[in-house]
Parts: sequence; C-alpha cells; structure tokens
Amino acid sequence: MSGALLELRGVRAGYGSIEVLHGVDLVVPPSSVVALLGPNGAGKTTTLSVACGLLPPTSGTVLVAGRNVVGVAPELLAQRGVATIPEGRGIFPNLTVRENLQMATFAGVDLRRVEEVAYGRFPRLAERRSQVAGTLSGGEQQMLALARGLAVDPAVLLLDELSMGLAPLVVEELYGIVAQIARSGTSILVVEQFARTVLGVADVAAIMVNGVVRSVGEPATIEAELSSAYLGG
Amino acid sequence: MSVAGQASAPAGPVLQVEGLSVRFGGHLAVGDVSLSVHPGRISGLIGPNGAGKTTTFNAICGVTPPTAGRVLLDGEDVSRLGTHQRARRGIGRTFQRLEVFSSLSVADNVRVGLEIRASWSRRRRPAPQYLAAAAGLDPERIDSDAEVALIIERLGLARVADVPVGSLPTGQARKVELGRALAARPRVLLLDEPASGLDDLETHEFGGMLGDLASAGLGILLVEHDVALVMRVCADLSVLNFGQLIASGTPEEVQSNRAVLDAYRGGGDDVAAAAAATAAGVHLDPGQPGVGS
Amino acid sequence: MDKFLTFTIAGLSSAAIYAIAASGLVVTYTTSGIFNFAHGAFGMMAAFTYWQVNVAWGVPTIPAVILVVFIIAPLFGAVVERVIMRGIEGASDVVKIVVTVSLMVALLGLAQVIWPQNESRPVPAFFEGRFVEVLGVRVSWSRLLALVVAGLVAGGLRLLFTRTRLGISMRAVVDDRRLLQLNGGRPGRTAMLSWGLGAGLAAVSGVLYATEQTLSAVTLTLLVVNTYAVAVVGRLRSLPGAFLGAVILGLAQSYVTGYINPDLTVGPIALGNLAAALPAIMLFTVLLLQPEARLRSHSVGRPRAPVVVPSQTTAVLGGVALVLALAGIGALLAPADLILVTKGAGFALVTLSLVPLTGYAGQISLAQMSFVGIGAVAMATWGANGSPVAVAASVAVCAVIGAVVALPALRLSGIYLALATAAFALFCTAMFFNQQEIIPSGSVQVPPLSLGPFTADTDYRQLVLLAVLFALIGNLLVWLRRSAWGRRLTAMKDSPVACATLGLNLTSTKVGVFALSAAIAGAGGALAGRTFTADSFSLPASLPVTMLAVVGGIGSIAGAFIGGLLLGAIPIASTVFAANAIGVFRFVAIPVRDILSFTPGLMGISLGREPDGAAPQIAVGYRAVGRSVPALVVSVAGAVALWLAARTGVVTKWGFAAALLVFVVAAVPLLPLVLSPARPEDTAEPPRRLACGLWLALATLVAVAIPWADRIASNGLRVVLMVVAAALSARVGIGVLGVTPEQLRRPVPLSPDLVGVDRPMLRADAVEATRRMGLSEDDFEAEVAALASSTNGAPVGPVTVPR
Repeated sequence: MSGALLELRGVRAGYGSIEVLHGVDLVVPPSSVVALLGPNGAGKTTTLSVACGLLPPTSGTVLVAGRNVVGVAPELLAQRGVATIPEGRGIFPNLTVRENLQMATFAGVDLRRVEEVAYGRFPRLAERRSQVAGTLSGGEQQMLALARGLAVDPAVLLLDELSMGLAPLVVEELYGIVAQIARSGTSILVVEQFARTVLGVADVAAIMVNGVVRSVGEPATIEAELSSAYLGG
Repeated sequence: MSVAGQASAPAGPVLQVEGLSVRFGGHLAVGDVSLSVHPGRISGLIGPNGAGKTTTFNAICGVTPPTAGRVLLDGEDVSRLGTHQRARRGIGRTFQRLEVFSSLSVADNVRVGLEIRASWSRRRRPAPQYLAAAAGLDPERIDSDAEVALIIERLGLARVADVPVGSLPTGQARKVELGRALAARPRVLLLDEPASGLDDLETHEFGGMLGDLASAGLGILLVEHDVALVMRVCADLSVLNFGQLIASGTPEEVQSNRAVLDAYRGGGDDVAAAAAATAAGVHLDPGQPGVGS
Repeated sequence: MDKFLTFTIAGLSSAAIYAIAASGLVVTYTTSGIFNFAHGAFGMMAAFTYWQVNVAWGVPTIPAVILVVFIIAPLFGAVVERVIMRGIEGASDVVKIVVTVSLMVALLGLAQVIWPQNESRPVPAFFEGRFVEVLGVRVSWSRLLALVVAGLVAGGLRLLFTRTRLGISMRAVVDDRRLLQLNGGRPGRTAMLSWGLGAGLAAVSGVLYATEQTLSAVTLTLLVVNTYAVAVVGRLRSLPGAFLGAVILGLAQSYVTGYINPDLTVGPIALGNLAAALPAIMLFTVLLLQPEARLRSHSVGRPRAPVVVPSQTTAVLGGVALVLALAGIGALLAPADLILVTKGAGFALVTLSLVPLTGYAGQISLAQMSFVGIGAVAMATWGANGSPVAVAASVAVCAVIGAVVALPALRLSGIYLALATAAFALFCTAMFFNQQEIIPSGSVQVPPLSLGPFTADTDYRQLVLLAVLFALIGNLLVWLRRSAWGRRLTAMKDSPVACATLGLNLTSTKVGVFALSAAIAGAGGALAGRTFTADSFSLPASLPVTMLAVVGGIGSIAGAFIGGLLLGAIPIASTVFAANAIGVFRFVAIPVRDILSFTPGLMGISLGREPDGAAPQIAVGYRAVGRSVPALVVSVAGAVALWLAARTGVVTKWGFAAALLVFVVAAVPLLPLVLSPARPEDTAEPPRRLACGLWLALATLVAVAIPWADRIASNGLRVVLMVVAAALSARVGIGVLGVTPEQLRRPVPLSPDLVGVDRPMLRADAVEATRRMGLSEDDFEAEVAALASSTNGAPVGPVTVPR
C-alpha cells in the first residue's frame, strides 16, 4: 500500500461514447497539495468528477485510503471524508449563507461547529449570514465554498478552478487558506488552468494534456514545462 | 447582384457589438463589451475561463437575452430578433459544449444545416464564396449532395461521413459542427473553442482552413485557448476578463506585451503580473502603450 | 351583496383546496423534476381511503384523518417515488409524462375496482351543521376549515423550507443536485420525502374536496387539471404564485356559477358548463402571458441510439400486407366481432397520429381523442353524403385547431404541451362535446365515406378503408421521416439550440408537427364511419391512446400499430365478459372490465423501469416484439387463440383474463429472446430457449386452469393474485432462460462499508497516514494547533475581501 489517501490508477472515463480520460494515473499523498494543471479540455475536471464519484470510470480504479471506491455513490463518499468543491461556485445560489453552511452538516459535523469554523475564518460571511448566496461577490462565494471544505474536516479535499473569474488578490488569499488546510494534514487535489499561484502552494504538480497525465514532478520543474503544454509546443 | 464575393463585400464590419451587457441575477457576466468583426478577417476573443466569452457569443446570436447593448449585422440592428432570425441574416456559430445531432451521421449533420437554410431561402443572396469558389458550385443554387460532399471533404471527414456523430471523438465532432455551420452559409461565424480536442497537426491544418475561409470573405470571431493558433490566424484580438473588455489590438501588440507573455508562460517576477497570470491567464494593463482600443 | 359575499366565501374555500393541492404538485415537481399527473389521483385514493376508514369501518374522524393524511398517503407517495419515479430520473419528457399519466389511469381503474361506482358514498362534512355568521352571511365551519388548513399549509411549508435541514436540502436539490451530493446530501432520499409530502398534501385536498363537494373518482382525479392551471401561475415552481392562481380560479369559478345564467348561450354553446372550462381558459391565458422560453443547451445526457428508418420499400410492402391481412381476417369474422376489429383499426389510426408528434418530435399530446371528436362532428355536420370534400374540410379544421392549441404551449418547453392538451380535452368536453346543440343526446353518427362508386357503408368495407388509410398514412410518414423534414425533427430532438442557430424556427416547426398529428387524428374521426358517444372524446379516453402508443414503441409505424392493437384488444377482450359492451374506454363499468381498463396504466408504468432504452422488463420486450416477426406472429396468435377459446366457452372468463395477463406480461416480452436465432454476445452459456418457451406455455395454461371464480370470492383479491401470478411467471421465465436481457442489468450502487471505507475519514486519518509514512511530523503539528485555535473563536489572520 502506497499510503496515499487518494489514488487514481489507469482511469478511463468519458461522456456517452466520447472518451475523455485515456488512462489517468495520479497519486495524492497525505498532507500535501497536488496541483493538476493543463489546458482547457485536457480532462482535468473529468478527472475530479471521477475522483469524487460523480462520474463512474469505464475502467481503472479510484483508491481512497487504499480501498477501491469505484461504484460508491458520491454522497456516501462525501460523508466518508472526501470533500469536493466543484467548478464554478461550490454554493447553492438561492440559499442563504447560513443555509449553505447547513448543507455542509450532511458530512456529519453539527451546524454550530460549521458556523464557528466558517465565520471564524471568514468574518465577512458572518456579516452576511442571512444574505442569499447568489448575491455575494465572487470572492465571498468562493470563501463560502471553501468554508465547507474547511469545516467538515475531510481527509481528502478536491478543488476545481478555485480562481475562476476572481481578482488576483482574492485568489492569493484563498490559496493561502488552502495551504494552511494542507499543512494541517488534509490531502488536497487542486485543478487549475492557470498555474502561477497554485504552484506556490503545491507540493507536487502534474500536467494533463489530452486526457492523460503527461508529467508529474516538483512544481519548479513542471513550471518550466507549462508553456509548452499551453502553447502547444 | 454580382456573384463574385469580393466585389460585393461591404467595406465596413459585418458584425458590430455595442455596449453589450448580460446580467444573471446579481452577477454581471458580460459588462459593456464592444467589438466588431470584418469580412475576410479573423478576430480573436480571448480570456480565462469564466470571463464571459461564451455568454458574449450567446448574446450575439440571441440565445441569451442581453441586459443592455446592441448587436448590428451589416449595420442593421438585430438585437430584438430571435435566434433563428439572426441565423437567417447570417450569424453562424459552433458551441463550446458540443451541440451536434448525435443520432445523425456526419453527412446528415451537414445536410441538415443545408436543408434548414433551403427551407427558408430558395434563392441565395450574394453568397460568401468560401465554398462555392473552390468547387465551381453555383452559389445561387442549393445542390445539397455536392455541397455536403464538398464540405465534408474540406473538413477531412470523408472517411467518417456515414458514422453517427455521437460516436466520434470530440475533435472530429467539433469539425462536424463547423461544417454544419458553414452549410448554412453564414456571413459571420462565431467559433467557440473549435480546436480543443485536436492534436497539434490537426490544429495546424485547422488554422490553415480558417485562413482560407476568411480569405474567401467570411468574417470569423474565434474563441480559443490555444494561444499559438490564436496568434497565428487572428488579425486582431479582444481580451475579456471578468466580463469586461480589458484590451484589444493586433496580435503583435498583444504578444509584445510583457504581461501577456508572463501570463501565458508563468514567468516574470512582477507581483501584479504573476497574480494576473493566475487569475486571468491574460491580463493587460490598459494603461500600457501599444494596447487598447 | 349577500350573494356576492356568499360566492366569495365559497370561491375562497375552493381556492384553499386548489392551493393545498397545487402546493403538493409544486413541491414534487421542483424537487424531483417529475410533473405528477397522478396528483389528483393520489388525492382521490386518499379520499376513498378516508371514506373506507371513516364511514365504512366507523373509525372516528380525527384518527381517520391522521391515518389517511399523515400515514397512508405519505407512505404511498414515498413508495411510488422509490419504486416507479426513481427509475425515470433523467429520462425524456415523454417517458416522464407517460409514466405519471399511466399511474393516474391505473389508480383510477384500481379505485373503481375496489370501490365500484354503482354505490353512492357520501362523506360527512367536518363540523357538520355548525355555522358562523360572517357579515350577515351564514358560513359553515367546514368552509372556514379549508381556509385555515390552507393557511397552515402555507405557514408549515415556509417553516419547512427555511428552518429545517430537510426542507433546505429540498431547495438545494433544485439549485444544484450534484453539489448536494458532493455535500453528502442524498437527493434520492430528498425526492422520496418530497413525494411523501406531495402525496400528503394531495390527500388533504382530496379529503377536503370529498367532504365539501362530492366523492367521485373521475372528478377527483381530473382535479389535477385545475391544480396545474393554478400552479402554472407560479410557472409550476413558485408556491406564492400557486396560491395566487388558486384564489383567481376559485373566485372565478364561484362567480361564474353564481352570476352566469346556465341557460345563456353563445351561438350553439350553452354557458352552463363554463365553470368546468375555466381551468383550461385560465391555463391558456397564463401560457399566452408567459415570455417565450429561453433556449437551453442540452447537457451531455444519455446518448441516443442512431435512428433506424425503414426503407420506403419495406413500408409499401408492409402496407400492402396489412391491407391484405385485415381484408382476409375481416372476411372470416362474425358481424359482432367485425365491428370490434373495425373499431380497433380505427384506434390504430389514432395511435398513428402520435408517431410524428411523439416519436419524431418528442412532444406529447393528451387530447388525441378530442381531435377525433372534432373530426367526427365536423364530418357529421358537413358530410352527410360522405363527401371526400367534407373529409378534407374536417381534417383541415383539426389541423388548424391543433395549431392554435399548440402554439402557446410550444413557445414554452417540454411539459407545457401535455398540460395544455389535457386542459384542451377538458375544455372540449365541457364546451363542445357535452353541448346538446352540437352532439344531441350524447352520440354522433359519422357518415360513411363515399368515394365515387365506393361507399364504406358496411363494416367490412369500413375495415378495408381503415386498413388502406393506415397503410397510406403510414407510408406518408415513412416518406416524411426519410425526407429533409424528418432529418430536421431528429436534429431538433438532438439539439434545439443548434437548430435555432442554423435558422430553424423551432416553434413553427413544432406547431407544424402538432397540426399534422391533429389532422391524422381528425381523419381517424372523420372516416370512422360509426357512432361515437360523447364520452369517447373525453380526457380519460385520450390518455390510453397516448400511453399505449408510447408503450407500443412510438418511434415506428409498426409500434403505433401494436399500440393500436393493444388498444383495440381491450374492447375485444371486454366482449368476452360483457356482450353489451358499448363505451370502449368507459372506466365506469363493471369490475371485470375495469381490470382490462387499467392494464394500459400498468403497461405505461412499466415504462418507468426503462428510462429511454436503458432497463425495462416489459417495455423493452414489447419494443423488441415489434422488431421480431416470429415474436409478433406468436404474440398475436396466442392472444387470438385465447380469445377464441374464451369465446367458444372452452375456458372460463376469469381463466381467460388470468391467462391473457400472464401471456401479455410474461410471455410476450420474452418471446423475441426465446425465438431469436442469434446468441447474445458476452454470455457464457447459451440461453435455454426451449425450456423457457415451455415454462411460458405452462404458466399460461395453469392460469387458464385455475378455478379463479370458484375459489376466490373477492374481485379485488382475485385481481391481486392474478397480477402476482403474472409477475412471478415473468420473473421465473427470465430465470429459466438463464440470460438476463442486456437492458435488465443495472449497476448496483456499492456501499462504502463494503469496500472498506467504513467510517468517515477525517484530517486526523490523513495525519496518521503521514506519520506512518514517516513524513514531516513536527511541521504540521503546529499547524493543527494553529488551525484548531483559529476555529475556536480566536481567528488567526482572518481574511478580508477586497471589494
């Protein structure tokens, strides 16, 4: 056993007859941030969907703490310590901030605790607890989403495009939090299209191109390869 | 009217977007965007995920109602028209998330494009010449079999002509969408990430084909993440971020800008540039020389 | 003034009932995405159950109400969700609509088997005989009770949706189902609870309605049309909108009853039925006021199988074969049977009308019999001499009316056409078919077609005429399907938004298809050459047409024919029981025939096990029958043999019913597999075809032989046992065959406990894992402490948001 909390082995998956992932291998060790980078359409989000159980792979295995969890429903996986913050905003736009936090309690943490963590970390959310989440600013919405990842205290945290549409300063703040979560022990897989800030907090980086992981390594090494991946060199 | 495309090509832009805004609830997806597309030219629209590119496309072709702004086609305001009416006036498009007719074959996908056009227009107005000129087709007539065959061949899909599109890989399905859009003989074509899913060689060929289409008189607005392709084929670029148009100019102007290089390569020490790279992918300082409209 | 006040209070009281019913409908629709046409039928079942408990068994009012409203109804709703509705998640609109409509028809049939109509069942009003003076008007307590309950429901729902995790998660499902899953919420459980809640609310409204007005199965079931007319005001999604709609409809109906003289006429139409037509009028008004639906890009869903279109040659040959076969069979039949077969052929034409609409364009109509009626009445009015010109005129009228009816609904999407057509059917019945001036004494005689020397004045000629018509229209449809128009419809089904960006006017295309469909149905009426009762044009008569057309396999002409045969088989089978069978779709009849009348409902529900070709027992089998000639032959031959045996008195009527049920449920769907020469791929052993065939024959024979009538006294129990026998036969048949049809295999969701993730894994586990790997222990210990303290009220570096 590798000891990795999350591992994908030879995962193939797709939508309908269109295969998107052609054999993805990826290891997320404990207490570390793995950044999954690559151009649009490379299959990063699909990889995350497979990891969190939303998309069943056509072949290959997904190991959580060494156990194959292919076929386990995503909600059950979520209750057992795999927290996912999906692409876009991981919030319910028509629910209030507090109601959004209440949804986090399905993972087995009580509301008081969730609110404590969320408001403690993001006082701004406390001010807006009865505001409908869809009317928050983009950064606040992402904080709300991240607050859930923080509060449920998961073993594995999957993040998709945390930076999407956000101002640079906000992104940096958010990744500061991510780094902190990671240092406290959680294993984190981060998907990003544009990589600069996430490389600062990542322990390992992987580049994905056309449905396969092309290379894995130290962030510094990977950074050098990035431009060729993006610019099609 | 003359059959020759070049002779009848209007001098001004074929498509103008003026002050377009789209608001979803409290979220401003596109704010006050203006751009124009000229016949015979490829214009690029770039920006990071979530910048509002696809929303801009949707508003241009009438799928999403804009909150403010106008869309002009050959100077005519089409903002109040429905999607199909705009299409009939010459706006064609492809989709970022595939919208192929997956239960029909490749040939039938293209044929449907042709037949829909034939259903509302027996006669062609002076047509874009990008197809007709190549094979000596009469643009005034609709000869479906010949035109379907031609389009399929031009796109390199002849081998899979009878295969249901649902079972094709993404890259080829995107070409089918392009072929279908061409079959409706648009005057301006909006392409939403047409090259994603293509490999390097295919992308190269694809760029060549876009160039051919444009040189035959078609106006193209291209959204694409493959920067090399964008830089190679586009005559001008508009850069969108947070739904705002932050800059526009020629590719050279954009490319020579340090912020762009930093953004795409992830290099540079400048904190602002680095942060911008993360957040936006492309972030131009509007105040920098050489950029800005 | 007193009159006004009286009618206002009466109106508000029905408004309260509508509001309660509509809130149940809205809750289930928003949270599960399935529009429950059986909502009225839920309320109806609850009302009858309440009568049974309270009146028949004498349980006091309060415990009876608690039992029905708070226990039985919610359980029923939850079971329906779990057993039927969960299977159609993500299925096409057509399947969703047909399944709930089938449920409605089945429940209606079931209620009439359990509580036969020949008995009156008054339900005592709550607080009987107690009144209160309001501004000088005497108002019964029960009227006020309805208002109070509606208020409580409104308040309770508000509390539920804002204060409880369950209610909030119901709203969360609407926002983002996947995100709720990623939060650990279980959308399936939420849906089950919302169906339970919906059924409970249906029960409240049903019981209130039964105590206030009348306990009638049909009336209560069709109350769903009033309910959704009301809910449409809130776009089927908003509760306050539904309450507003309820007030409008309740008051309007009450004032119409109070202030419009029933003898008043507009042209030939008496306004006595206006109150019944109001829901339809309101629905159409609201639909017209809605802004056009936005085009939605379709998400990557189930890929659809490539469409197989028969060649024109096949269609021509099939048409010729059909005409010859029916002409041959018709010549052999006794006069009484000939009439029934002719009627069946007429129904086949009506199911054929759904092929372009439902099969090609993916839209659904619940009013096909109304168009048959319009065609029939038009022909009777204009074509007494059977002139083909009158036929053409009747058909054209149907096409135009169809276009007008469909237009407002088709601007919007999906479900609205089904709603509008059902409302249209009720409207037609109230304002047209039930009008003495238009259909005197409730029946209309359609004159036979006269075409030069040919006059369809005998039943045999009529049968041949219908066969030729079916063949011609079938060929026309195949030709259309193969044309540019057919491709365009397929394209529109695959991606409406792409079609629009190519220049296709979606609304006019769909309206055109609907007009074609209405025209074919109208032709079915204008050329029926027989007498119709006004009843046969009603909504309950239209529903089986649509259900069986879809069950038969609506994508193909052959499927439509099978659907028509199934439909025709019901009256044919019912003759075995009642020589005086008149109304074909009158659910209002003796129990035995009702069994037959609710089988279409059961067949439709079976579709629910199969979302668009993925997994049914029965529906897939039935569809396969359409593709396998030997299976089709054996199915028809078996059914005919049973029928003949019953007709000649070889088997008892109950034996026939049981055998037919077993044959149809167990044998027919398995026949294609049993008779197929090909061996399914990826199976280790060849299927045991012979053994399975023998088993099916044996099961059918045993069903014939059991002395049902002698041994089992109660009709209801007999029916239940028959259904069980049929289901068991099917199950065992599949077992004997040894090959699960591919469509039956569905993935079993794994429990995390089984794979070893038997408890939530927290950060501590991650830390533990790191420690085992001997990694930087000290580093994160400090961080853990920091994080812990930061979350205990003393934030370390709280984040501020630059605005």
